[in-house]
Amino acid sequence: MTTLRVLTRRPGRVIGLLILLLFALMAVAGPSLYSGTLAVDPNAIYSSPSSQHWLGTDFAGSDVLQEIVVGARYVLETAALSALFTAVIGTAVGLVAGYHRGPADSALMRLTDFVLTIPGLPLLIVLSTIWSFGQPYEMAIALGVTGWGGVARAVRSQTLSLRERGFLEAARGLGLSSRHVIVRELLPNLAPFVAMNMLLAVIAFMGAEVALFFLGVVPFSSSNWGVMLNQAVFSGGAMDSPAALSYLLAPLVCILLITIGIVLFLDAVDELFNPRLRERP
Amino acid sequence: MKTLIRRLLPKLAAGLVMIWAVASFTFFLVHALPGNPGDAAYENYILAGMPPEQAQAKVASIYGFTSHDPLLAQYRGYIWRLLHGDLGQSISYSGVPVTHVLRAAAPWTIFPALAGLIIAFLVGTSGGALAAVKRSSRWGGVLSMSGSFFAGIPAFVLALVLAFLFHTEWNLLPYGDTSDVTLTPGFNGPYIASVIQHAVLPVATYALLAYGGWLLTMKSSVISVLGDDFILAAELRGLHPRTRMRYVSRNAILPMFTMFALSIGYLLGGSVLVENVFDYPGLGNVLFQAIGARDYPLMSGAFLLITVAIVLANIVADLLYTVIDPRVRR
Repeated sequence: MTTLRVLTRRPGRVIGLLILLLFALMAVAGPSLYSGTLAVDPNAIYSSPSSQHWLGTDFAGSDVLQEIVVGARYVLETAALSALFTAVIGTAVGLVAGYHRGPADSALMRLTDFVLTIPGLPLLIVLSTIWSFGQPYEMAIALGVTGWGGVARAVRSQTLSLRERGFLEAARGLGLSSRHVIVRELLPNLAPFVAMNMLLAVIAFMGAEVALFFLGVVPFSSSNWGVMLNQAVFSGGAMDSPAALSYLLAPLVCILLITIGIVLFLDAVDELFNPRLRERP
Repeated sequence: MKTLIRRLLPKLAAGLVMIWAVASFTFFLVHALPGNPGDAAYENYILAGMPPEQAQAKVASIYGFTSHDPLLAQYRGYIWRLLHGDLGQSISYSGVPVTHVLRAAAPWTIFPALAGLIIAFLVGTSGGALAAVKRSSRWGGVLSMSGSFFAGIPAFVLALVLAFLFHTEWNLLPYGDTSDVTLTPGFNGPYIASVIQHAVLPVATYALLAYGGWLLTMKSSVISVLGDDFILAAELRGLHPRTRMRYVSRNAILPMFTMFALSIGYLLGGSVLVENVFDYPGLGNVLFQAIGARDYPLMSGAFLLITVAIVLANIVADLLYTVIDPRVRR
């Protein structure tokens, strides 16, 4: 009940959720909506939006809308998978470090500092020289492994403050195993926080992954938003000629929409889990 | 002073370990590359009729090591050269030492990123304080929403949108390179004006990228300080709201220094994208070009330098934090 009330308090939150649902649907159903390869029409290169091609066509005469819909799966699957990887690694490291403290804590935090300091995107670009990231999960592993530092540090500080609370002292006092305490007592209290971080990570990883394709350092295995941007800017001349405009703007607008969707939706999640933020009546 | 050193030394040591780890990583990366570029170059020199010793010396001067020695000896030689500031020779700028290429590029990354960071700090922290105080009003909500938006938006999307709007659409600002090519570089009016004009878009991108993080952190920091007892006491004493706000902001600004390090890392990492979009000849662009040209010594050098800059920024941020907050020193 509260969930619904918090969600509908500001119209933006509902809009955010709707945007996210739309793109999730696109990723799930997109490829089956358009079967086979992209239709190429040499008579309609860079045509402007019309009733036949809602968003116009690209350099080969393929429908831009179709490319966006088909490309959504790779982009979103990778972003979601890598967000999952960071959440799992970050939570595990943060929990162990914060709960056990001592030498394990300092060792894990050194490692976390290391991961946080290495510049993620340059590292991925350098890694792309030996690794081609063909499958979504490969890209997701690379993104996940380089990006869990922030989550681990935040989960650790949450764990440190949680472990001094009464209910955890009670659980320890009852002689429950530390596995029980971590899985049954600590984790449920951290879950909302981790979930919010995961949503933010989806934005960050979507950006990083599309950026790698945009820069062209990753071989193009299939058409996706990053490949579209790369072709629009570097071979389509979209920055200088208005013809390729919709080809450039379509993926950009999608990325912006997802960013806005997640930000709007996070506002609701934030209020739901942080009662202190709730507005006074 | 003593506590300062005691606090700083472990950080310095950690930074050195970090730099060593990244240097080792790039060394082994070049070894793991398909077709070992060092070997390939060596064979090319031999085919060109060069005596083996000379070919080996030439490869060593380019990569910092040759693959004919045992791995450990190569590694020792590489680190040894590194300690003497020798990063090898660039392949795409044939024969030019990597350090020269990097020295020419570094200012074009460091100054715009720093300028963007300072602007973002000023606007972001004041915006964050405002968003915290007005958090139940509509404008407060809009402000924090703008923070989350800019914190989330990918660097190259922002750069592309800015380039598209201000250059292609409205033709207000130039784009590409650091200044108008027809002007002679030097300390003269038109050149400086042109440099500033060309820097506006990259600086604005960096500023907007960092703005969100500052705003959100400042907001949560101000909210937590607002709940402190001494603020309630100040309120009860009937102090002027402006005085109270000064109390709040002085205390809330402290956690911002940890943000500084994160922020500069984020900007330097994003410089690859920003400089690529604006065709700006900084470190990020050098890294990108080096990969395109398979210029591995230059690639390792640029990556190493970006990491070193971030490590240094971390140490400086920590030092500032210690100087400003007396509680840390105890």
